[in-house]
Amino acid sequence: MAEARKSMIKFKPKKFKVGDTIKVDFIVIHPMETGTRKDKKTKKIKPAKYIDSITFSLDGKPFTSMKVWETVSTNPYFSVNMKVPGKGKITVDYTDNTGEKNSKSKKLKPKG
Amino acid sequence: MERRNFIKSICAATAVAAVASPSALLAKDAPKGGNVLSYDAAVAAITGGKAVTDSDKVKLTVPEIAENGAVVPVKINVESPMTEADHVKAIHVLTTKNGNARSADIMLTPMNAKGYFATRIKLAGTQDVVALVELSDGSFIRAAKPVKVTIGGCG
Repeated sequence: MAEARKSMIKFKPKKFKVGDTIKVDFIVIHPMETGTRKDKKTKKIKPAKYIDSITFSLDGKPFTSMKVWETVSTNPYFSVNMKVPGKGKITVDYTDNTGEKNSKSKKLKPKG
Repeated sequence: MERRNFIKSICAATAVAAVASPSALLAKDAPKGGNVLSYDAAVAAITGGKAVTDSDKVKLTVPEIAENGAVVPVKINVESPMTEADHVKAIHVLTTKNGNARSADIMLTPMNAKGYFATRIKLAGTQDVVALVELSDGSFIRAAKPVKVTIGGCG
């Protein structure tokens, strides 16, 4: 398996209770190459490589999904809200236009 | 330690990316084969011709002036109870002058609890950023804001 892409899921605030609405941030290292830029050395167009689809799931059940285009910034950042129903695992699955698939998970641990 | 290194690598990578010019995104420059879609065509594809109303329920936050067109923060907050009966179904982030008018679509559910979404997009030049919102009753509302982009030159 190829080395996993670097990414991070962040909950804000870090400490929360069941029933709280928190921010779920996702950031990933990815070139988001538009396919319109030339490589200065080879003079050839750098092929498009950008994340095109993202799904946020809680214990395997999707609750947010996205379609993304090459117009989103390099090393993209995405932020959504979520009402915490209880303990669980948040998983972010994402694919890019070349078919590369990746996944990142983080445990949801509410206090009280 | 791992988290610190991760953040360092994002800052380094983003700094490199920031130098790259997004000017290739302008509609008139887009070479054949790239994702080219005009703003009007994107709206038509999303709404199927349905009416779209400007609404101040859609709070769109973008900088008035973007020093770096490669990384423009966009924040959207739609006033909505986010219940099963009444919620934001999707937010479409569009731009009026990029070669590809579409940046990101987010499909929300009541578990999101708020009609909120934030991301960072590329702007090829001065233009409007538009939040086109689809509600659970099938109607469309929107908000648009202009962003001045200063590209090129030193400092």
